[in-house]
Amino acid sequence: MSLIDMERPALPCTEHKQSYADGTSRIVYCTESEVQFPDGRLIVSRVDLKGIITHANEAFVMMSGYQRNELMGAPHNILRHPDMPKAAFADLWSTVSAGKKWHGYVKNLRKDGAFYWVYATVVPNVRGGVIAGYTSVRRKPSRRKIEASSVAYADLLSAERQAQ
Amino acid sequence: MKFNFLIAPDFPPAHFAGWHMLNTLLQRRSGLQLHLLMPANAQEQTALLQQGSVDMVYANPFDASDLIRQMHYRAVARPIGKADEMVIAAGLGPAVQIVENLKPGCRIALTDNRDVKLIGLRLLESADLAESDIEWCLRDSYQAVARAAIKGEVDAAFFLSDAYHALTRLTRSQLHVVIESALDDITHVLLAHPEIVPELPKIVAALTEIGESASDKEVLEALGLPLGFEAMIDEDAEFMIDLMDTLLD
Repeated sequence: MSLIDMERPALPCTEHKQSYADGTSRIVYCTESEVQFPDGRLIVSRVDLKGIITHANEAFVMMSGYQRNELMGAPHNILRHPDMPKAAFADLWSTVSAGKKWHGYVKNLRKDGAFYWVYATVVPNVRGGVIAGYTSVRRKPSRRKIEASSVAYADLLSAERQAQ
Repeated sequence: MKFNFLIAPDFPPAHFAGWHMLNTLLQRRSGLQLHLLMPANAQEQTALLQQGSVDMVYANPFDASDLIRQMHYRAVARPIGKADEMVIAAGLGPAVQIVENLKPGCRIALTDNRDVKLIGLRLLESADLAESDIEWCLRDSYQAVARAAIKGEVDAAFFLSDAYHALTRLTRSQLHVVIESALDDITHVLLAHPEIVPELPKIVAALTEIGESASDKEVLEALGLPLGFEAMIDEDAEFMIDLMDTLLD
């Protein structure tokens, strides 16, 4: 399923063409505006085996900037920020599709071009011995971990661009 | 035939009578004989479960995971609009206003409620604190946890939200809430042993029909569950267990 291009935000922004593992691509816009993770909350979503969103809690909807009906049925990479290296998501999918739990720090892109950092844990939903989908729960990360992840991802991204 | 009905020991003391009232009501409406088991602490609960004679359990979400996946209990019902939340509170001094004020080596008072500790640890991650960074001060009751924070014996205290809000006004006036969770999706659940599955429709009907009459409302208020209970399907419980799994580390 392909995503439509983002609308250009009113704030100063950068434009990026983002391509995904399924061969689709879209234009996204990023501002320097950061939205803080809400204290005490968890952001919860579930996807099917193809990464299509099937459940989103209120915190997920609120932080994404999208309406609920725009998220349900959309691919989870609707939130992918161009500062995230492809290697991080490749690691995520190879881990959970092998039936294991994945943890990682993720910079997400909102509908308005702003971003928010999360500490994500993804677990496979095993039903009757078979993986039926995946649950992702995001928690508030510390600033120190965000700063360390920013540096590490910038290095990975740079390596990926050089390899292209 | 009599069924043993165990209630997890993490409810505020003020709700003790409510569980007896509920048990009486359930017996009258379901026609089943239910024997209430009210362990005083988590160790007593574990011992009763290991004896293998518990037919129904009102379990906290952490224990529910093991009971469903290891001991094959079935999810029957859950309270409506009553998620399990926790509070991190501190005494009235200026030292701890936000979670990030807590530093490695800090002292935190808590009871032996594992759910509260687990969720509390997740809330401390934004301050870069792990379990080993904290000096844990175990207390027998939430009242004792509150006293430790008020007297300055600890930097912060962990409470089940219900227990915190059930403290006296005087006690709460000497504490302040540093953070309160709003996880929404995690609740206590009523579980039934697989051997009593044939009786489940009677139990579910009796429980979920407790509602609007004055006497019903009295029972629900006494339990601190004013909206009553709703039936659960297995997938509801599996979803919650998956969610709990993400919080374990």
